[in-house]
Amino acid sequence: MGYSQPSNALPGVVRGRKMIDERDKQVIRLIQGDIPVAPRPFALLAGKTGMDEEEFIRRVRRLQEEGIIRRFGATLRHQEAGFRSNAMVAWRVPDDRAEEIGKVLAGFQEVTHCYQRVPQDDWPYNLYTMIHGETREVCREIALRMSKAIGIDDYLLLFSEKEFKKTSMQYF
Amino acid sequence: MDELDKRILNEIQSEFPIVVHPFREVGRRLGLTEDEVIRRINGLKETGIIRRIGGNFHSGSLDFTSTLCAAKVPEEKIERFVETVNRYPGVTHNYMRSHEFNVWFTFIAETMEEIEEALEEIRAESGVREIRNLPAVRMFKIKVDFDV
Repeated sequence: MGYSQPSNALPGVVRGRKMIDERDKQVIRLIQGDIPVAPRPFALLAGKTGMDEEEFIRRVRRLQEEGIIRRFGATLRHQEAGFRSNAMVAWRVPDDRAEEIGKVLAGFQEVTHCYQRVPQDDWPYNLYTMIHGETREVCREIALRMSKAIGIDDYLLLFSEKEFKKTSMQYF
Repeated sequence: MDELDKRILNEIQSEFPIVVHPFREVGRRLGLTEDEVIRRINGLKETGIIRRIGGNFHSGSLDFTSTLCAAKVPEEKIERFVETVNRYPGVTHNYMRSHEFNVWFTFIAETMEEIEEALEEIRAESGVREIRNLPAVRMFKIKVDFDV
């Protein structure tokens, strides 16, 4: 079981306002949850607004082109899809190597998320990666390969033991 | 889940067509009828493999901010703590993890001040003092489509 090629995420930008209007917000409100599985889902959603289907679709496409929608599509329960284990790996890397190392770790196909975060006095970890595998053992092996690739062995493997909440953000 | 289901899943995770008849288009790509695609997707939702179909947003470009929080919660306080934290709509992911900092959650809000205030409320209500706020300074990758 492998992973697909990187998609259209926009690395780097953590915050930066894009122009959206009230109608865009209406569109976002209707597509931030679960769209209907029906022959013309966007017509059904547009019907809840003053817009017609064509305008609704045009706005969704524009939000996607501008990167405001980073991905449109199905979200899976990855445990059900065969990825039964996931781990957050917190790395302690020298600040001046964080960018270089972050890029190397992001290049691993098993890594789904990779962020640099602000360390704290008593919490020195500054790079965070999420990895997914069939078992914990597989996750351990992946982390070991990552560790060897960057020459850093100061890391924490934080296995997910229970899901308390997983939902999509309701923005507006 | 058979091979056709897997092909549908791979198709609709990142290449979902934004068109008038999206399921007909998915069917066209895979050599299936619209009815067959809709029937199979409904089946994949019923068995829980598909959580939802919709948009995933770059919160920063909507002028929201997000962070990762880690809390050190004694066993007997976990239930109460999780209930308190999960009440906030901005908390979208919350997991128990294998560490003394055992509860990890993400928090999205319009400002970091709002998040800090919420964390103070959570501390006061739950009695859990040790909650770390670990905002991102740089994103290197976010990719949540799985090749099944």
